[in-house]
Parts: sequence; structure tokens; C-alpha cells
Amino acid sequence: MKLIFEKSVHGREGYSLPVDRFDEISIDDCVPSSDRGEKRELTEVSELEVIRHFTRLSKMNYGLEDGFYPLGSCTMKYNPKIDEAMASLDNFVHAHPFAPADTVQGCLRLMYELSDLLCQITGMDAYTLAPAAGAHGELTGVLIIRQYFKDRGEKRTKMLVPDSAHGTNPASSTMAGFKVVELKSNESGTVDIAGLERLMDKDTAGMMLTNPNTVGLFDHSIDKIEKIVHGKGGLLYYDGANLNATMGILRPGDTGFDVVHLNLHKTFSTPHGGGGPGAGPVGVEGISLPFLPSPVVEFDGEKYRLRDPGEKSIGMMRAFFCNFSVLIKAYSWILSMGPEGLRQASEASVINANYLLAKLKDYYRPSYDGFCAHECVLTGRDFKKDGIKTLDIAKRLMDFGYYPPTIYFPHFKPYAEETLMVEPCESEGKEVLDEFIEVMIKISEEAKSTPELLLDAPVNTPIRRTDDVLAVRRPILHYDDELRLKDELNYRPEDINF
Amino acid sequence: MRYIANTAEQHREMLKEIGVASFDELVATIPAGVRFKGNLDIPGPLSELELEEHLTTIAGENFDFTSLKPLIGVGAYRHYVPRAVKSLMGREEFCTAYTPYQPERSQGTLQAMFELQTYLSRLTGMEVVIPSIYDGASASAEAALMTLRLTRKNKLVISSTLHPHYRAVIKTYTAPHETDIMDLPYRDGLVDIAGLEKVLADDTAAVIVQSPNLFGGIEKIAELTELTHKRGALLVQVVAESISLGLLKTPGEMGVDIVAGEAQSLGMDLSFGGPYNGYLSARKKFLRQLPGRIVGETVDRDGKRSFVMTSRAREQDIRREKATSCICSNHGLNIIASDIYLSLLGTEGLYQTALLNTRAAHYLEKRLIEGGGFEKVFNYPFFNEFLLRSKKPILEVRELLLKSGFIPPLSAGVFLGDEKLEDAALFAVTEIFNRGELDHIAKILEK
Repeated sequence: MKLIFEKSVHGREGYSLPVDRFDEISIDDCVPSSDRGEKRELTEVSELEVIRHFTRLSKMNYGLEDGFYPLGSCTMKYNPKIDEAMASLDNFVHAHPFAPADTVQGCLRLMYELSDLLCQITGMDAYTLAPAAGAHGELTGVLIIRQYFKDRGEKRTKMLVPDSAHGTNPASSTMAGFKVVELKSNESGTVDIAGLERLMDKDTAGMMLTNPNTVGLFDHSIDKIEKIVHGKGGLLYYDGANLNATMGILRPGDTGFDVVHLNLHKTFSTPHGGGGPGAGPVGVEGISLPFLPSPVVEFDGEKYRLRDPGEKSIGMMRAFFCNFSVLIKAYSWILSMGPEGLRQASEASVINANYLLAKLKDYYRPSYDGFCAHECVLTGRDFKKDGIKTLDIAKRLMDFGYYPPTIYFPHFKPYAEETLMVEPCESEGKEVLDEFIEVMIKISEEAKSTPELLLDAPVNTPIRRTDDVLAVRRPILHYDDELRLKDELNYRPEDINF
Repeated sequence: MRYIANTAEQHREMLKEIGVASFDELVATIPAGVRFKGNLDIPGPLSELELEEHLTTIAGENFDFTSLKPLIGVGAYRHYVPRAVKSLMGREEFCTAYTPYQPERSQGTLQAMFELQTYLSRLTGMEVVIPSIYDGASASAEAALMTLRLTRKNKLVISSTLHPHYRAVIKTYTAPHETDIMDLPYRDGLVDIAGLEKVLADDTAAVIVQSPNLFGGIEKIAELTELTHKRGALLVQVVAESISLGLLKTPGEMGVDIVAGEAQSLGMDLSFGGPYNGYLSARKKFLRQLPGRIVGETVDRDGKRSFVMTSRAREQDIRREKATSCICSNHGLNIIASDIYLSLLGTEGLYQTALLNTRAAHYLEKRLIEGGGFEKVFNYPFFNEFLLRSKKPILEVRELLLKSGFIPPLSAGVFLGDEKLEDAALFAVTEIFNRGELDHIAKILEK
């Protein structure tokens, strides 16, 4: 599609300013000409053109409201309209972060109450709402662990991370100054207890664990893991990526986790925004309270206020306080659900995933035997002999109007190979799953009978498969790069004007 | 429950198909001893009507911000956001999608990223742009870490006119690496250039300077860059008020190596501090050390121009502990907001908005001084924020303004814990103020 720069017509306007521009003030008296630059060329389009441009762009996307979006590990559940509306209330939208505390009591109350709700749901003692995303929460949590040991005068340099973990776990640990020690999974995809016993030592700060894990399995040895890690004085970190399986069923705080991060954009239904913004609050047990990032919200029975937690705090993780409008949506969703509703949501998501697993396991050999949690990991490995990869299955799903599941994750070998991670959330009904099952079975048949349909796929999408190698070899990272290479590129009008 | 699709009857049917008698069998691997028993102690469920009433009540516990215009900025600016921005970014295809893993069905998100990369490249005068890091402060911290990797040195010089939150975040991010942080003092509202010569050393990785700075002052970036480069260090410019890029020289033409910016001014509401959107612009040679997602142009099988996430070998899902950062997601929807906002404003609109901000701020400064209630603290060129010392106690200024419908300016002395700035007020003025309002403000704050 044409870029907004290619629609520019000199002199066209899409914006209006008041007529009174304080013209009597000379700009030379304000900012010396030596500090001023040339007028930047952006684009010149009408408002209607902007509207059409972005409406067309949006139609090249696929959202949750277009259809089933079973992207594993991302918890693509329905984002209620009421939550969006509540986050758009003018009094929230226009609240300046540095407005005096007595003018923003509503904002502070909401933050305080949300922390409390999250404490209840996870069994933790306190939360910081600062982190902007899950990985940001991880970094916050691991820095808290670092500070905990520093405060005790212990020098622990290593962090244990299972090979099944999201890449963010090892990356966060490195950023927080730890040496990452990878813990191999056992043949059933869970923590290898003997390996853990061998690796967990006095130099190890702790272990990061996702439970249910990234393979979609509840780790049945959670009590053993807890004893081993705590036995050596380490702390247990809970990656809340998969909390959608366990609300009202299992609370990390009750199972010995010391630091927890949640993904409000997953479990708590705030929209994913094509990448974000999300929110990744971090919960801690009482012993880690002094290390929470600044600021924390306090309530004295009458007034709410923000407070710096003191010199033991890890410091600040971001400017101001939190992704506030995301928090409003999560708060609103939790109150819509209530205690029973949260448990039912987890149950429904687990039943949905197991239903898909039961119906598809004969066609796409799963990574494991037994039941899964809220997502299942299927594989396309039996089609390898037909020259079909999991990637081809995913691409073909788009021709049937679906956004594909997460593929090639988890990818540790030999256990998880050619994976296809499917997460149907509680907001999907059985009919939706049945249709998806039917399509998946059809694709498995096509893989044998007409593999070219998979290899050519997708054909019903705005573009077809892309040349990712070319993108790296010949980097065009903005429109001016393209303009420089214009002669070499030679696009025909139909290559752009679709 | 309205957000759970299947009925109890359907669940029974599905459990039967799965081959179990009850839900409990599915979660039998959870040891009984750790299972949560009973009900979570939280309120609800609320009907949609009750929920709306409840949230409206909480929002009502704030002051009425529809009628209160902020005379405060400090990294969060109330600009006018055209209705078209909100209308378009609210489209579910943008709002409810996730990471564009499958480019065939994610061209909307990807092209918007590419367009914003173009806008920000032109605004900052830099070759590569990461269009979204969580916010300006975390982008600054990522830039700081980047300079440590690039130079293999471990000392940072940070301007004392950098937003204190940004400084605090840099400190948090670099703490595990035991980075040595030196303070760069200011004089008359701007970085003390002679002071820079004193603190720069051969082991300095970078100098981090905000411009327009905490006080709104326009720093002499070109001079700072030259001195910094002479000692083999990199210069990072922080831009917290991105509208200023419509008027001031680009960081690129002033020799800056990395720009860490905050795009809140480009189409985002105040929202009590977030979500906003940080970005990083840099020289092309630094691409491999940049954190976060970037989009590149390529072609599809039919030769059509297409956009994909590229240079992925820096990222955590591929490189794990060797990645440039743990950052995984970004503020994708805020990218869309800025792309729409800049497209609407266009070449002339951004320039005129930047001019209007500058002039309106200088108009108010002049009126406040003429009114006799304020005096200058610094003699410095500023953009849309300025510091004045009030002759009245700052609390009185605050009450007078709140009563008249304005969020008061920042009490700089209290915020910075600096006695020298007692009774100094940091004002921000954007295009949302008209002459009548500024005259009114000047009048109520007269001596």
C-alpha cells in the first residue's frame, strides 16, 4: 500500500490551529536562529485522506474481533468495550501526573485498590504497578532479588532459568547483572528435579519459573522445587505469563514464590495494541517490601498519596508512575468477573485447551502425553516427511481466516520441535473451536494430498510470504532509504497500489 | 458470566469428549496441598451498569480535569489531540491485534511502524529509529546501556538538567553494572560547558543531556557534542518534549550519536503518566546494539512492497541472555497514535504548533514579569517551559491557580530538593492556551 508520504500534495492541510498565534512575539527574541533548524518535511494530506489511509491500514491487520486469534502464550481474550470506555473518562485521560495529590485522589485510589486485588488473586503482600510490560516486570523483579541479597550482604551471581522459559527470562537476568544458568527440562517438559538439586547452590540467587510452564503444563513438583530453592537460601520468581490457567485455583504466593510478575494485557484482558502498551505489575512477599521501586501508593484512611519507599528501593523503573490507563481496564475487568468469575475463566480456558488437544492430538502429534493447562502444544513434525513445516501450516490457516497460533515456541530440542502453541481463551465458545478443529484437520489432509496449497499459502491475505532475508541484506528502515534506492527497486504501480 | 462463552452444559459435553469426569481431573497434577481452596476475597461481580457507576464515582474523586488546564509539563504535556487520532487508533484491528509475527496479516501495524520510523528519522536527523521503547525514561536508560556496550567503558556523565525521573531510571538500569555516574552541573539554566571539560575523562562512555532541558532551556548541543567526541565519548540527547523537534535544529545535524525521546506530545493524552512512548534514534552503525523492534521494507512472493520486523538477531526471543535488552513488546498502539498525529499535522502543522508553543510560553513569561509578581531565575533561551521565581509564597500561587481553573506549575524547589530554587515555579505553556487565558493567569498572579 502507498505510504502516507506518497499521498502528499504541497499546500494541503489536515490540521487547524487558532488564528491568534501571538505573532507580535518575535521568534528571534525567543530562540536564537542558531538554535533553530529547517522546517521538517513530513507530509501534506487532508484529514479525510488520513482517515482513509489508516482505515485501509487497519484492514490489512487482523484483530481479535475479526476472528479466532489463538496465539499461544499471549492470552488473546476479549477486551470488553466498557473497560475501554472507563479508561477514556475525561477525568482520567486529562490527569497530569504531577497535579497536586489532592486533585488526583481518584487515580491514586484506583492504583491502591488494584494492588490490593492483585495481592488477593496471587497471594502476595504488595505490588508495584510501575512496570510497563511483562519483560519490564521481570527486570523489576530480578532487580528486587538482586537488592534483597545485596541488603543481606550476600554475593549471589547466578540465576537459574529453565530452557523452556521465554527469552525474556534469561535476558532480564543478564540485564540485572546475573549469570544465567540454563536448567534443562526433563522428557515430560517440566523441571528436572535432579538437575535443579545439582545446580542450585549458595552462589545462585534463585530460579525463574513459569507455572503452568511454557509448554502448557502444570509443574507437579512445585513443592519440591520450592524446598530445593529455598533450602539453599534462594528466591523463587514466578513469571505470570500463564496466570490465566490458575486464577482461584493456585496462588503463587501460597506455593512459595517470593516475587511475581503479572501481564495485565494477558490474564486481565487489556488490549494488546499490536505490541502494547501492556502492564507488568510485580508482587512481592513482605521481606522484599523495602526494595520495591519508587513510588508506592499509600492510604492513611482518608487520603491517598505517593511515597518513595526509601533508600533500599531499587529506584525508578520508568518516568512517573505506571501505565495508568491500562490499569483502569484491568481493574474494571476484575470487578466485572468477581471471585467466582475469575476461577470460572481459568477453568473455561483450561477446558477449551484440553478440548482442542483431545480433538487434534491424532492429527498433530502433541509434545507430550496427558492434559495441558490453558494452552496446548501441538507439533507439525509428522508432516516433515511430506516436506511440510509448521510454518506452512500456520500460513495456510490465514487462508481460512484465522490468525495462526504461536509457532516454533517453545523450541528447545529434542523435546519441542516444529511446535504450534494454541491458546483458546475462555471468551471463545465451543462452536468456534469446532470450526477451527475442522479446518486444522482439513489442513492436515491437504498436507498429504495437496501440499502445494500449504507451500503457496497464504493467498487470501493482503500480501503473500515475505522475503525476510532481503530485508536484512538490503536494509530499508525508513522511506528515505527507499528513495535513495529508487532506481534499484523498480516497483511497478501494482506492487504498491493495492 | 458475560465474558465466558461456554455454558455449564457445554462444559460437561466437552469434558466428556476430553474423557474426564470433572475439571479437577484436568488439574490433578497440581498437588492437593497447594491448591487454593475457597473463594478469592475480592468484590464483584458487578453488572456493566454497576461497574460504570463505580468507575465514574472514582473518576469523580479527581478534580474536574476537563476544565482544569495544566500550567505544568515536566515531561508530560497537554497538547491538543485531534479527534481523528482517537477515532482511528481505537479501531479494533490496531487495538486488539498483537505483535506482528505474521506479516501477511499484520501490514497495518508494520507499515505504521515504518512510517513513524520515517517521521522520527526526519525529526531527529538520524538514520535508524526504534519507534517504541516503553517511555522516554526507559529509552534513556537503554541508550545509556548501549553506550556502555559500544565503548566498553563504564562511566556516564549525566546533566543535572535531565528530568530527575529519567536520571533515576538510568541509575536503576546501570546499577548492576556498577557504572560510575558523574554529575554535570548547570549554570544559568543550561549545562555548564566549562564544567563538562572538568568531568570528562578517557573512561567516559557517554554524556547524557536533555534538550529542551528540565527547565525548558535549549542546550548548546553542538558544542557539547564536540567536546564529548574529543574525549572519545558518545553524546546522548534526551528529548522529553518532541514538539520541540518541529522548531529546533535536529540532533543529527548537531552531531548527536543517540537520541532517546519521549513521544507523548505526539498524539498522546496525559493519562496520569502513562502509557506514553519512548523511542531511540541513532547512527546506522549502532543498529546492532539497539534494543527493541524495528521494521524494514522488503517484497512478497509477488514482488509487492511489504514490511517485516527485521534485524531480529538483537532480540531476546532469538538471542536470549545475549540479547541487547529484555524488551519484548513495545507500545504499538502509541506508535499508531503518533503516526496519525504527525500525518494530520503535516509539515506546516508541526512547524506552526512548535512556533505557537514557543511564542505563547514567552508571552506568558513576559506578562508574569510585567505583572510584578515574578522575576527571572535564569537568562536562557527556552522552548515552551520556563522557570520564574514567585514573590508570593509558591503555595499561594498554587491555590490562586487551582481556584481559577488551572493546574499550577511545578514547585521546582520542592521537587528538586533545592533550597536555591525555593519559590521557583516551572511553567509549561502549549497551544491549548489562548491569549485570554494567559492574560487571566497573569492578572490573578499580579503582585
